Amino acid sequence: MKKLIVALAGAAFVAALASTLGAARPAAPTASNLPPLPADVKSRNRFIIGVKCDVPPFGYIDVQGKNQGFDVEIGRMFARYAFGRAQRVTFVCAPTAAREPLITSGRVDLVISTFTYTADRATRIDFSEPYYNATGRLLVKNSGAVQKLADIRGHNVATTSGSVYDRWMKNCYSTTNVITADTFTNAKLAFDQGRADAVMFDDAVLLPIAAADPNSKIADDTFLAAPYGIGMRKGWTEMKAWVDSRLELMRKKDQFYPILKANVPPRFLTSFAKNILRPNQTFQYAAPNAPSVDTVCQ
Amino acid sequence: MPDWAGPVAHYVLHEGLPNTLRVGAIAIAGSAIVGIVLGTLLTIDFRPSRTVIRLYIEVFRGLPILVTVFLVFFGLPAISHTFEFNALNAASIALVLWGSAQVAEATRGAVQSIPREQHEAAAALGFGWTERHAYVILPQALRRLLPPFVSLLVNIIQNTTLAGVIGGLEILQAGERQSERLTSPPPIGVGHIHAFEIFAGVAALFFVISFPLTRLAAYLERRLV
Amino acid sequence: MPVALVPGGGHPAASLLPAGYDLWKFVSQYHDELLAGFENTLKISAIAIAGSYAIGIVLGAARAHRIPLVSQLAAVYVELIRNTPILVQIFVLFYGLPQFGILLDQFSVAWLAVMIWGGAFHTENFRAGFGAVSHNHHEAALALGFRPLSAFLNVTLPIGARIALPSSINTAISVVKNTALVYVIGYAELTTTALNISNLTLQTTEALTVLAIVYLTLVWSLSGAIRLLEARLALPRA
Repeated sequence: MKKLIVALAGAAFVAALASTLGAARPAAPTASNLPPLPADVKSRNRFIIGVKCDVPPFGYIDVQGKNQGFDVEIGRMFARYAFGRAQRVTFVCAPTAAREPLITSGRVDLVISTFTYTADRATRIDFSEPYYNATGRLLVKNSGAVQKLADIRGHNVATTSGSVYDRWMKNCYSTTNVITADTFTNAKLAFDQGRADAVMFDDAVLLPIAAADPNSKIADDTFLAAPYGIGMRKGWTEMKAWVDSRLELMRKKDQFYPILKANVPPRFLTSFAKNILRPNQTFQYAAPNAPSVDTVCQ
Repeated sequence: MPDWAGPVAHYVLHEGLPNTLRVGAIAIAGSAIVGIVLGTLLTIDFRPSRTVIRLYIEVFRGLPILVTVFLVFFGLPAISHTFEFNALNAASIALVLWGSAQVAEATRGAVQSIPREQHEAAAALGFGWTERHAYVILPQALRRLLPPFVSLLVNIIQNTTLAGVIGGLEILQAGERQSERLTSPPPIGVGHIHAFEIFAGVAALFFVISFPLTRLAAYLERRLV
Repeated sequence: MPVALVPGGGHPAASLLPAGYDLWKFVSQYHDELLAGFENTLKISAIAIAGSYAIGIVLGAARAHRIPLVSQLAAVYVELIRNTPILVQIFVLFYGLPQFGILLDQFSVAWLAVMIWGGAFHTENFRAGFGAVSHNHHEAALALGFRPLSAFLNVTLPIGARIALPSSINTAISVVKNTALVYVIGYAELTTTALNISNLTLQTTEALTVLAIVYLTLVWSLSGAIRLLEARLALPRA
């Protein structure tokens, strides 16, 4: 009887030891243990992804009429991972306000469209893990009425309808006249034409514009530092698992860096490289129970 | 021609124009078939069918076509996912709904303008209701329908631009995307806005397609009516 | 009770509507915005209808009387507007004019675009109307000592306008329907407002129901009221 107890205890000890040893070194991801692609996308044999069509460097149409940009390239990478070919993806233009309706109506599988995660949006759709860390900036005229964030009180600021900036200004700057446009180009146009004194949008989008325009510059203030996520239908756990695992794979292989390099002017590469996922660089969303970032005033 | 205009024109003509023509063709064919059938049925003295068809006509002529486009594109999928159409097809369907209402009303008027004697003579010769309409009444009515039908074609071609509002890549949407691209700094665009030139060009393209048809409608009006 | 047997739990037609469809909640929550949007629709419709009638009568008269230069310019205007889509006209006004320094806000472009469009069609309507006035009437007026302008105002205009009434009513109703198109420049009339709300709250079917009901009511009542007016204003049978 004593021998049996000792043997069982020894076996239990060995089993416990083996399992902890196994847990200490996680298995390297191989094709066989990465989450599989959801069946309905697999059967269609192509992705349908919503992207921006007028917001360089994330999503725009080039001279030949093809979709290009950081977000677009991630979409092509996903097509490669899923179907082996970068062409197995159809891009749909998803301006700011159309992103959620496109997801909930099922017209797109994913939205990779400068989509900032907010706790509010997460009540209606699901986000992947973050893939780009954006900060809000103001584009202003060199000697215009608005020179810094505090100046926007009582003035006109343009941004896209339904963006985090739209809601943030309406929550925190009630005296600011928020000029919303359906697309980023129209918001920028309002600024160019003098209808707005400033444009509020993401740093990566505004910096190249200011660089190319001798009459405008970026104000020093930074705000609404919030990462982009990839949007998808609420409760689609299969897809979220697939997307998150591929984003992680791309991070480990440092695949975001060459995509960034191909899409931003060289002078901005080092500063924007701090905003992407890299082997030694990650970032997180705000805690799920923290108030939504567009409700927190500076 | 300035440097930037080449790629713009190429994109508009190669990506936008075929879609515009396709939507227009489906819309006019669909409007004609559905409209003539409904219009002829409207002349039958049977209250239930007349009420339903009359309702159809008044609804789709009364709604702005844009609202009909939204109903087909956004509203139908909410009923069932089998009714989910892409932007170009949704616009075609909406144009058929509107166009057929127009054609139905015009057909009713044309058929009812055929004198009683034609019906009586045909009946006297032994033609049944369907044969009478197919061989005697409708051919005459359709000749009267030709001028307004050509005008409707012009109208439908103009209204294909509504497909662009829901993202369909027709001529105007193609021009819009190029205009947006040009405002970005090089190498993507040119850093300037050329919206006026592009949209004036788009207008000119539509004019070149529509004007001969408008003249044709006027000519047919004079010759056939 | 048969209620439980029907999927959707109630009236058979309810199974056609998406889950959670609640029209009353949508309207009661957003009635302020929707009403404001509807007011804007009426505002630009009224301005556009009035303006387009004025354009139509003046240019129609010029065309009917073949006044040199004005008549030809009017003809060019009419053909340009009738043979190009109204959406393109809206875009030229809103995005194109600023290149020439002319910066118009959304409200101005909204009524201006629809007015210019309506004016072209009214010009044709009234040209036909005035042209249909028998020449005898005009000559009789001149013989009685009326100056040409007076003859036009007192004889040709009243008769010609009544002849043009039916077609001009159709154009006026089309003008009202076309105000929905200023959605593309973001002017907050009814269609834009309803769709903006639906983008935020995803109640697309409710928003579309509201749009359908409001536009049909508006267009049908206008048609009905004006047909009544037409019966009373029609020329007495000679």
